[in-house]
Amino acid sequence: MTNIQANQKPQAGKAFTSKTMFSRETTVSANIEADPSIVWALLTHASDFPRWNSTVISLTGEIREHGEIELKSILDEKRVFKLKVKEFIPEKRLVWGDSMGSRVYTLDKNSKSVLFTMSEKIGGPLFPLFAGMIPSFDESFEQFATDLKKEAEFIQGSKK
Amino acid sequence: MTTDQLTSEFESFQSELKSFLLRMTASVQDAEDIVQDTYIRATAKINTFRGESSLKTWVFSIASNLAMDLLRSKKRWPETVTDICREEVLGNRQFLQEAMHIHEASPQGKFEIKEHISFCFTCVSKSLPLEQQLALLLKEVHGFSVKEISQILDQTDAMVKYYLHTSRSRMIEVFDHRCSLINKQGICHQCTELNGIFNPKQKEQEELVKIEMARDAQNKNKEKLFDLRMKILQELDPFESGAAELQLHHLEHNRQVMEKYLHQKE
Repeated sequence: MTNIQANQKPQAGKAFTSKTMFSRETTVSANIEADPSIVWALLTHASDFPRWNSTVISLTGEIREHGEIELKSILDEKRVFKLKVKEFIPEKRLVWGDSMGSRVYTLDKNSKSVLFTMSEKIGGPLFPLFAGMIPSFDESFEQFATDLKKEAEFIQGSKK
Repeated sequence: MTTDQLTSEFESFQSELKSFLLRMTASVQDAEDIVQDTYIRATAKINTFRGESSLKTWVFSIASNLAMDLLRSKKRWPETVTDICREEVLGNRQFLQEAMHIHEASPQGKFEIKEHISFCFTCVSKSLPLEQQLALLLKEVHGFSVKEISQILDQTDAMVKYYLHTSRSRMIEVFDHRCSLINKQGICHQCTELNGIFNPKQKEQEELVKIEMARDAQNKNKEKLFDLRMKILQELDPFESGAAELQLHHLEHNRQVMEKYLHQKE
């Protein structure tokens, strides 16, 4: 787990978190040697998440424009997060969230790979009151990126 | 290519096409209708065939699109389809009488466990998303390459690989959880139960030994067991096998049960 200041450069696969009085933002990125369509497909097929993503217990609903989903994560196994898809730009950008914050996924295509970035910002005027109760996202973000990279690259390399 | 050449080549893979469509739709009527519509459409569009793929790939592409048009508006079946249909069968005296009559009177009325494995796959694979089911059948049963499937589905190779990987992983998981032939903890014994009904004097264990997937279940990994399941499908023509009439009767029953079940759930 790593907490660094915003002016430090993040390492691939390592999460970093920046904090202010009223918000907290965690980001992780990974260079994935796979076609963006594979990464996008993995990120947008809700019911398939638990198969490849060890940080997700269940994900139901539809990940599409204005779609609604219900997420159970290892971060808090008893809680179901009811989220709405706020942005859906195929193979580029996906945002889901609730009134507390948003999770942003971006894909940037390079010549032979795709740079995957995931960040989540939570906060608001009451954030200082409950900030201490929210667990760090760093470890699960790193695991998410590791799982995604492993699965996407496996599919990319699968036999013809 | 002339219409005569098309007709000649079409005939060479027509039965394979019909089997593929049966496994997609779970309906003899729909499979036969789509084969006919495919031929009509292929004949009408033969001038647009540029030879960028084989004729068979091109025809399967037309058929797949027709099947998807038909199936897109229908809900997918649940993984528990065989459990739901089993409950219905137990209360359906007419179905059992018809099945027993077919078993006794028809030359295609034998009950064989491996035929039921094929039937079971047809039902359970309808729980996959449509594109995934289609890609899986094209690759694992009919031997099309990723490139050919990408042409049939008009998708990138990468997406086809995604469909193939996820559908295969999903089916392996479902069968590992459900099928008592490959996992002693499996909850579904339907093929052996039916074998007991139709072949009461047969020694079930001797039958199971003939099926490589069941015989070697303890020694093979899940991937290999799935390959063996696919081998059974590859070697079976659901319209021509010795159990065809019995299994098609059963399939039609399941299709009707699922339509009613899904309609009630709406």
